[in-house]
Amino acid sequence: MFVVEGALVYSNLLALLSIGLTITYITTGVPNFAQGSFALFGSYTALTLLHTLKIHPYASVPLAFAVGGLAGVAVYALALKPLVKREASIVTLMIATLAVDLILLGIFGAYSDFLEGLTGKSAKKFIFTSYDFSIFGFKTILLFSTFAILLLLASLSALFYRTKFGIALRASMENPELAEVMGVNVARTRTFSWFLSGALASTAGCFLPFRQEIVPLTGSLIIVSIFAASIVGGITSIYGSVLGSYIVGFSESLLTFIISLAFGQILVYSRVISLIMMLIALVLAPKGLAGVVKKKWSIYS
Amino acid sequence: MEHILLTILIWFGLYMIVCLSLNIEYGYAGIPNFGRAFAVLVGAFAVGGVANRVLMFIFGISNGIIEGSASVKSAMNEIMARDPAVAILFLLGTLCIAAILGAVLGAIFILPSARLSEHYLAIALLAISEVSYMVCYYNPDIMGGYYGVSTPDPLLFFQGEQRLLAFSVLTISIAMLLYGIVSKMLNSPFGRLLKAMRENDAVVEACGKDVMLLRVKACAVGSSIAAISGALYVFYTTNVIASSFNRAEWTFYPFLIIILGGLGSTNGVIAASLLFVVARVLLSTYKWELKSALHLPFEAVWLEYIIFGVLMLLVLLFKPEGLLKEKPTMTKPIREMVKRTGKGARKQA
Repeated sequence: MFVVEGALVYSNLLALLSIGLTITYITTGVPNFAQGSFALFGSYTALTLLHTLKIHPYASVPLAFAVGGLAGVAVYALALKPLVKREASIVTLMIATLAVDLILLGIFGAYSDFLEGLTGKSAKKFIFTSYDFSIFGFKTILLFSTFAILLLLASLSALFYRTKFGIALRASMENPELAEVMGVNVARTRTFSWFLSGALASTAGCFLPFRQEIVPLTGSLIIVSIFAASIVGGITSIYGSVLGSYIVGFSESLLTFIISLAFGQILVYSRVISLIMMLIALVLAPKGLAGVVKKKWSIYS
Repeated sequence: MEHILLTILIWFGLYMIVCLSLNIEYGYAGIPNFGRAFAVLVGAFAVGGVANRVLMFIFGISNGIIEGSASVKSAMNEIMARDPAVAILFLLGTLCIAAILGAVLGAIFILPSARLSEHYLAIALLAISEVSYMVCYYNPDIMGGYYGVSTPDPLLFFQGEQRLLAFSVLTISIAMLLYGIVSKMLNSPFGRLLKAMRENDAVVEACGKDVMLLRVKACAVGSSIAAISGALYVFYTTNVIASSFNRAEWTFYPFLIIILGGLGSTNGVIAASLLFVVARVLLSTYKWELKSALHLPFEAVWLEYIIFGVLMLLVLLFKPEGLLKEKPTMTKPIREMVKRTGKGARKQA
């Protein structure tokens, strides 16, 4: 039971992260290697508020959302937008996101040193599990992260299918040139997608310390799982990436747990499982689950 | 002062080798190998994981790899101190193992490219490299994991500063040798074929060349060279710990260097390696002075990441062609054509 609970929390957080990755991939065409580090904006916002103002990490989610969103916009405007304008190749853009990831690693490392000097408490390695509590026998983190996902999916579908801006967003995802001709401000929808991506990642980062230890390198370490989730789901489909996150999250947690019952100490191999799933998805179905589902349906239509 | 100079020379040699290899793969062949660190790790594994096990077998030591390596180190050091020929043989032998293992694993590593487009390939290679790094770090049975293993020191005749001097001579001469081989190879029809594949692989395919085979060849050669650098680095520190082979140092920095130097320009790579290494060694040598001078409330190592990350973005934005722009390969027919058509054509070429 405890394992399933952990797997569910992990999958929820993975979904928040991989939705962000997918959104920016659809609108800008860049696989963002800094997505994992975006999460740390949330973790460090929560940690700072906790150690300086004694605010509970759950209460800092709104601020984390805003900070992450602004960071996403800043990364897009400063690093990627000028390159996109110059029509740089995708690989060049990917190298730029690798550079952003390294800069963020430096910034979080520096900030954690600074915070340690300020509060006298460890900021280079922290975990929030002792601040969590239980409601009806469930860990609150499970309830909150599930609630966050449901709320997100509901508001995304409302945004995409009920508002004019949502239609413009979908149009610029489908075909940016055509959308531009029809009067959609593609630059604005792109900026918005980076805001959303950063904000979602940062929200996930706010919850992440309830499940695992955070170090400045955490962003670089979880990036493989995020990409695996996104690619298994089909990197161009938002709902596909949610599905992919649950598949990858559950197999990472449960498979390694089951194998470790049989062979002992191998919990470190959870990333190997997500790597293998990603490679299988890439080789057998490059468009992921979303592509498989679409193919099946297109027979009937 | 001499210490700084020698450290610069050693790192210059190491980075020059890695960047030559990445320049073959990304600069010439256009393969976005975001997993360069993997091949360097393979080189380290060749020394810590393979050579140490072979020696354990020869000496009949049956402990685990960590204790076994310690016994191997003392036994081997004793023999090498008596007989310099053994030391040379050991050094060359392990470098050969590293090169062969690098070539084989590099060829396997690139196989996903048969089915993947450019950016999926980059993601897959980065993921493979990250995961093998993590497995090597967390599993002590492969090459010591987070404990690390020690290795015999083939340069044990030299002490202190002298050892640094000997090692820098060794690294620079190997780097120069590889430079000669690589530039010969890249000026050959094979190099031009790689460039053609970078520009348009469909045309190369249409001309009857197997693109996949070309990729495998490029990656095998590149990984084999990078593995030599990994093995040399292990001899520099005389121990192997997987955490030294991280993404920032062995994938990102080489990319920074070859883009700064100019993609596909071998001389640019050398110039940029030197610039980068001087900057980095000075940064790490004077980190305490820097920290107190700027009143930084944090360790200067974080500043290094920020500086080099920002530098990469600036280069991509303002000087994407690099310091020394790639020049067309001057084969005999092209040279004659340039001579015939005069100066205007040279500009175009």
